[in-house]
Amino acid sequence: MALDFAIGVFGVLILFHAAYSTIQYRGLLKITEEEFSGPPFNVVIELSLGLVLCMWAWASLTVPGKFLSIHPDSEKNRIVSLPANLDFMIFNHRGKVFPVEMDLKLKQ
Amino acid sequence: MVTKTEENQLNRLESQVDNGGSGAWEYLCLVRKLKLRRSDKVLKHGLSILNNPSKRSALGPEEWTLYEQVAVAAMDCQSLDVAKDCIKVLQKKFPDSKRVGRLEALLLEAKGSWELAEKAYSSLLEDNPLDQTIHKRRVAMAKAQGNIPGAIEWLNKYLEIFMADHDAWRELGEIYVSLQMYKQAAFCYEELILSQPTVPLYHLAYADVLYTLGGLENLQTAKKYYTSTIDLTGGKNTRALFGVCLCTSAIAQITKGKSKEEKEGAQVQSLAAKVLEKDYKQRAPDKLPQLTTALKSLTLSS
Repeated sequence: MALDFAIGVFGVLILFHAAYSTIQYRGLLKITEEEFSGPPFNVVIELSLGLVLCMWAWASLTVPGKFLSIHPDSEKNRIVSLPANLDFMIFNHRGKVFPVEMDLKLKQ
Repeated sequence: MVTKTEENQLNRLESQVDNGGSGAWEYLCLVRKLKLRRSDKVLKHGLSILNNPSKRSALGPEEWTLYEQVAVAAMDCQSLDVAKDCIKVLQKKFPDSKRVGRLEALLLEAKGSWELAEKAYSSLLEDNPLDQTIHKRRVAMAKAQGNIPGAIEWLNKYLEIFMADHDAWRELGEIYVSLQMYKQAAFCYEELILSQPTVPLYHLAYADVLYTLGGLENLQTAKKYYTSTIDLTGGKNTRALFGVCLCTSAIAQITKGKSKEEKEGAQVQSLAAKVLEKDYKQRAPDKLPQLTTALKSLTLSS
């Protein structure tokens, strides 16, 4: 979780650096009196990298809280027992002979 | 299907609630979601919530589901007065409800008045001829009265209409196994595996039935299904590991005099044996010598 937050902060810093480089580039263009058509290629790459890092951090921090395993045989996901088939439950089993606790009553 | 995380969560909540902690409502919701049969605990903790007016009003509309859950748990623990009181409360709130009608018929069943319960179910079925739960309760009644062939007949009729109900297939398979009609039981488990191929416990039950039937083909298929169970559970199912070892030694015994081409079977068996030994060393080290002698006798007899 802390790692994902750090990745997010890093992504934001990269975006700020890209913005600063674009401003510097525009200053350079003003000196050479050319039109500003778009930021240079490496700034575009830096922008997309910053975007990816920020999206990663947002996804892992908010949605769904943490990444869950999808393998059906992983330690967390493996099926351990089946539900008890309650539709066919019968009530005359040997548990009938156990004494009933007398203090169990529903108070009105 | 209860996964390992859910089982851990359940055990944690159970020990917390049993030792007088909070979280009874969470525990009851989890039991309801996982469809487990923990009637004594549900009854105790459910009544503690229902008898406390502040906790009861904190539940809001979920209160009635809790009444239903406690009523069924009370019937299972034979506290029929508690069940009757809960049903009375529900009847006052929902006077013409089919769900409450079902609960009343269930109470008649728990009391043992089979004819009255049968009459109640037939009248409920007249209004709703396709109600699955009532059909299933009729099967359960036949089973409770000891009329197992009648239960099988009702269940087969039910499955002709509702072929996709895997709970019913599972129940039919278990009934057939109890009557030692293994071929029919194998058919039921095949249906289950077809509809839900990723549940390892159906593979395990099918492999058990095939191993019980015996015969070379059945043993080879049983070994395949034991290995698929091991695959689907990540190697943690001890029964499947034992099943693989037993199947290999049984196959080797049958094919003793015949041609010995298949040596890859021995590899699976030795791997399974290794995993078993490691598992036992970790969880039950005092039983490890018994395990090693048993496994050795299996490989020696082959």
